[in-house]
Amino acid sequence: MRRLSISAASVLQAIADGRPYGFDIIDATGLPSGTVYPALSRLERDGYVRSSWEDTDSAHDAGRPPRRYYRVTASGRTALADAHARLQALLPARSRP
Amino acid sequence: MSRRVDAWLRLVAWMVPGDVRREWLREWRAEFAWRQARAVRTGRTPGGQDVWYAAGALPHALWLRWDRWRFDMLWQDVKHAWRALRRRPGFTALTLVTLALGIGATATIFGAVYAVLLRPLPFPDADRLVQVMETSTRNPRGMAVSPPNFVDWRRDSRSIRGMAAIASSNYALGGDGRAAEQVSGAQVTGDFFDVLATGAQWGRVLAPEDAAGQGLDVVVLSHALWARRFGSDPATIGRRIVIDGTPREVVGVMPRGFRYPLESDIWLPLPFSEEELTTQRGAHYLDVIGRLAPEVAVEQARADLRAIGDRLAAEYPRWNADESADVEPLRDVLVGDARDSLMVLLGAVGLVLLIVCVNVAGLVLVRAAGRSRELAVRRAIGAGRGALVRSLLVESLILGAGGGILGVLLASWALAAAPTLAAVDVPLLDQTRLDGTVLLFTVGVSLAATVLFGTAPAWFATAGLDMSASMREEGGSTTADPRRQWWRGAVIVIETSLAVVLLVAAGLLARSFARLTQVDLGFATSDIQTFTITMPDGTYGQPAQRAALVDELLARIAGRPDVAHASAIFGMPLTDFSYGISTTALDGVRLADARQDELSVQVRVVTPDYFETMGIPLVRGRSLTAADRLGRPEVAILSEAAARRYFPGEDPLGHHVELGTRLGQGGAPVGGQIVGVVADVRDRGRASPPRPTLYVAHAQFPVGFVTVAIRSDGRPAAVVEPARQVLEALDRDVPMFRVRTMAQLASHAVAQPRASLVVIGVFATSALVLSALGLYGVLAFAVGQRTREIGIRRALGAADGSVVRIVTRHAAGLTAIGIAVGLGAALAISRVLRPQLHDVAPTDVVTYAGVALLVSMVSMVATLVPAWRAARIDPLMALRHD
Repeated sequence: MRRLSISAASVLQAIADGRPYGFDIIDATGLPSGTVYPALSRLERDGYVRSSWEDTDSAHDAGRPPRRYYRVTASGRTALADAHARLQALLPARSRP
Repeated sequence: MSRRVDAWLRLVAWMVPGDVRREWLREWRAEFAWRQARAVRTGRTPGGQDVWYAAGALPHALWLRWDRWRFDMLWQDVKHAWRALRRRPGFTALTLVTLALGIGATATIFGAVYAVLLRPLPFPDADRLVQVMETSTRNPRGMAVSPPNFVDWRRDSRSIRGMAAIASSNYALGGDGRAAEQVSGAQVTGDFFDVLATGAQWGRVLAPEDAAGQGLDVVVLSHALWARRFGSDPATIGRRIVIDGTPREVVGVMPRGFRYPLESDIWLPLPFSEEELTTQRGAHYLDVIGRLAPEVAVEQARADLRAIGDRLAAEYPRWNADESADVEPLRDVLVGDARDSLMVLLGAVGLVLLIVCVNVAGLVLVRAAGRSRELAVRRAIGAGRGALVRSLLVESLILGAGGGILGVLLASWALAAAPTLAAVDVPLLDQTRLDGTVLLFTVGVSLAATVLFGTAPAWFATAGLDMSASMREEGGSTTADPRRQWWRGAVIVIETSLAVVLLVAAGLLARSFARLTQVDLGFATSDIQTFTITMPDGTYGQPAQRAALVDELLARIAGRPDVAHASAIFGMPLTDFSYGISTTALDGVRLADARQDELSVQVRVVTPDYFETMGIPLVRGRSLTAADRLGRPEVAILSEAAARRYFPGEDPLGHHVELGTRLGQGGAPVGGQIVGVVADVRDRGRASPPRPTLYVAHAQFPVGFVTVAIRSDGRPAAVVEPARQVLEALDRDVPMFRVRTMAQLASHAVAQPRASLVVIGVFATSALVLSALGLYGVLAFAVGQRTREIGIRRALGAADGSVVRIVTRHAAGLTAIGIAVGLGAALAISRVLRPQLHDVAPTDVVTYAGVALLVSMVSMVATLVPAWRAARIDPLMALRHD
C-alpha cells in the first residue's frame, strides 16, 4: 500500500467527513486548489477514492450543472487508518487521546 | 462563472490528456457554477476568490499529463521499444556499433583536447598565470630572459603581482647510499611557489631567504620523487641528499600532481649574484612566470611589460637594442603548436561523428519505412502521431544509452592505450582521463546523436502515414515511395563524401609517412644502444677528470666480446639537441660580426670511435684518434655541409676554425685545425635537412654530459646491465639515464607523424566501414521493398544479370556522386594538412585516384550481398510476398 502524504491524507479525511466535492474539500482543508485536485486524481488512480456524477435532476433543480463527487473506498479507509496511526506516533504522548 | 474563468479553463484543458478532457472540463465548470449559485443564494458575490480556485486548474492539468506520460513512457514505450529492438537484432547491432564507434572516438579525442586545451592547470586561479618573455626582431615569438631584465621587470611591473624566474636543468641525485639517478628539476626564485599559489604537503616551500646567501643548501621534492625514491617517508624532511655533488637539506615535499615545469622532480633556490646582475644582461636562460594583478587583463599586462621593455632597450642599448617584452597566458605557452594538430583531430572526429549521425538517421529512416505498416496500424487504432514519434524516441534513447555505454568503454580503452600508442610530445596529454566533464560531454553527444538524428527522421517517417497507403506499399504496390528513396539517397551521398574526405587525409599522411621513412638519416639505427651520463660538477670540476671517466668507461665497455664499438657524444642525433655557435675566426683572422653569425655551425663533442659506431662515413682526411688529447693541438672534423659553408669549392683540410664558445671550465675556445670531413647526418630527424656540424674531440674538450653509443653484435639491450655495472664500479654518483636503442630514438623521431597517421587512419577506416554499412543497409532495404517488383520482372523473363544491374546501377550512381562531392571537398580543405606533409602535395593525384578507387570497390562489395539476394528472388515467392 502506498503511503499517503499529509495533504493527500487531509483530502481523504475531508471526503470521509462528508465533504465529497472538489471545492468543498478546498474549503474544508484550506489547501490550495492546485494541491487538492492533483491529490484527488492521484487518490482515484490509486483506488483510494471513486468518483461519480451527481444526479442531473437535483442539480438542475438547484439551477446548476451536476457536480462530481468522491467516495472513499475500502482501501482508502485502510490507508487513512494507517495515516492516522503514523500521525499519532509523531505526536507527543500527552496530546494523544 | 465569469467568462474569463471559462476561457482560462478551456485553455488549460488542452494540456489534459484527450480521453479525460471532457470530464475534466465538466467537473471544473460545475464547481464554479456551484459557487456562483451559492453566491446568488446567499447574496454574497464570489469575486476575487475565483482566481485562487481557478489557478489550481493548471497544476491539475499538468499533473494529469505528466502522470499519463510517465505511465506510457516508462512502461508501455519501453516495453514496446525493447520488443521492437529485439525483433530486429541486425538493425539494433548495426546501430549500436555505429553509435559506439562515433561516441567512443568523440569522447577519446574530446578527452585529449579537454586535457590539453581546456582543463584548468592544477594551480589555484590558473587562468591568471602568465609567462613573460623577451622578444626581439629575430625572436618575435619570444625567448628566454636574462637575470637583470627579470629583476627590472619584477621591480617595475604594476600589472603583474608576483613574478618568478625558473632555470630548468637536469641533476644527478645521490648521497643516500643508492646509485645516483638523473632527475629533472629547476632552480627557482623565492616567489615561485607564491606565484603558483601552492604550498608544500610536508615541510615548507622555498622562501626568498633561501637564495639570499647562507641558505643555499636546500631542496624541495616532488610527491612522485618522494614516493619513488624515499618510500613516502615523512622523515625525509630534514635529511641531507646530494645533488650534483653538493649536499642539500630536504625542506619540503610538494602535493601530489604539482609539477611545474612539467617534468620537474626537485626545486632549488635560484640566486643572482651582484656581478651577474650587472654584467649578464645578455645571458638569456630564464623562464619567467607571473600572476596577473586583480582586475588586470593579459592585454594590459602586455602593454605594461612592453613599456618597461622599451625603456630597458633605451637604457641598455648594448644588450637590449631591438628587444622588448611580451606576456602570454601560461597555458598557451605550454601547449604551443600542439593546438593545431589537436584541432585537426577534432575536425576529423567531428566528421566521423557526423557520419555516425547520418548513418543513424539513415538506419532509422530505413527502419521506420520498414515498419510503416506497423506504424500505420497503430495510427489507425488510435495512436496519435505524437505517441508514435514518442515510441520511436524511446527506442532511440535505448539505443543511445547502449551506444553511449559501449562508446565510453571504447574510449576508456583507447585513453588507457593512447600514451603508449603514440609517444607524442604533447604537453599535458598524459592528463587525459574520463572525468566528469568528459562523461557529461559524452552523454550530451549520445543524446544529441540519437534524439536529433533518431527522432527527426522518425517525425518525417510518420508524416502523412495512412493506413491504406502503407498497406499498399508493403503488400500491394510494386515500387517504393520516391520521396523516401530521395532521402535515403542523400544519406548515402553525404556519408560517402565524408568518408572520402577522411580517406584523402589519411592517404596523404600515409604517403608522406612512407616518403619520410625512406629518407636516409646518414647514420645506422640498428644494433646500437645508447644511454646518457652526467658528471656532478662537485667531483668532476677538472677537465682531465671528465676525460678520464669517459675514457675508462668506454675502454671497459669496448673490452667486452659482444661489443664492436663504444663511443660517446655530446649532442646525440634525434634527441632534440641543438648547440649552434657562431664562428669568430678563420685561420686566425677574426671575422666581422655579421659574418660570424652567417658561419654558425652545430657543435658536437665526440670520442674517436664515434663515426665508426654510428656508421658515418669519413669522406676526406682522417678521423679523430686517441692522440688528440688535452695539451696537443686542437683538431676538428667538419660535416660535408659545414665544409661547403666554410670553404665553398676549396679543400677544407689544414684550415683553422675558431668558434665563439668555450666548453668546460677554463677551456680553450672550441675549434681547431680541420683534419677530416665526414658525411652529413639528419640529426633532427628525417623531415629536417642536415645541419652544418663541427666535431671536436672529447679528450680535448671534456664536457660532463655525454651520451654513450655502443654497437654490439647481438641484442643491443644486452649491453645495458654490464655497462651499468661498469659505471657503478667507476663512480656510483654518476647517474645513467635515457637508456634507449638507436632504433627507439629513430622511432620516437617519427612518433608525431605516425600518431597523426594512426589516428586519422583509424577515423578514415571507421568512416569507410560506416558508409559501407550505411550503403548496405539502404540497398538491402531497397531490395526488400522491391521484392515484388523484381519478382514480376523475373517472372516476365528478366535474367539474373539484369536484376543485379537494377540494384548496382542505383548504388553506383549514389557512390559516384558521393565520391565526386568528397573529392571536391577534400581538394578544398586538404591545405590544412600541408604542415604535416613531407614531400607530398595536398593535391597529390595518386592519393585522390586511389581513394576514389578504394571507395568504389568497397561500395561494390557492400552492394554485392543485396544484389545477390535480389538475383535469388523466386518469382513465385515474391508474388506471394506479404
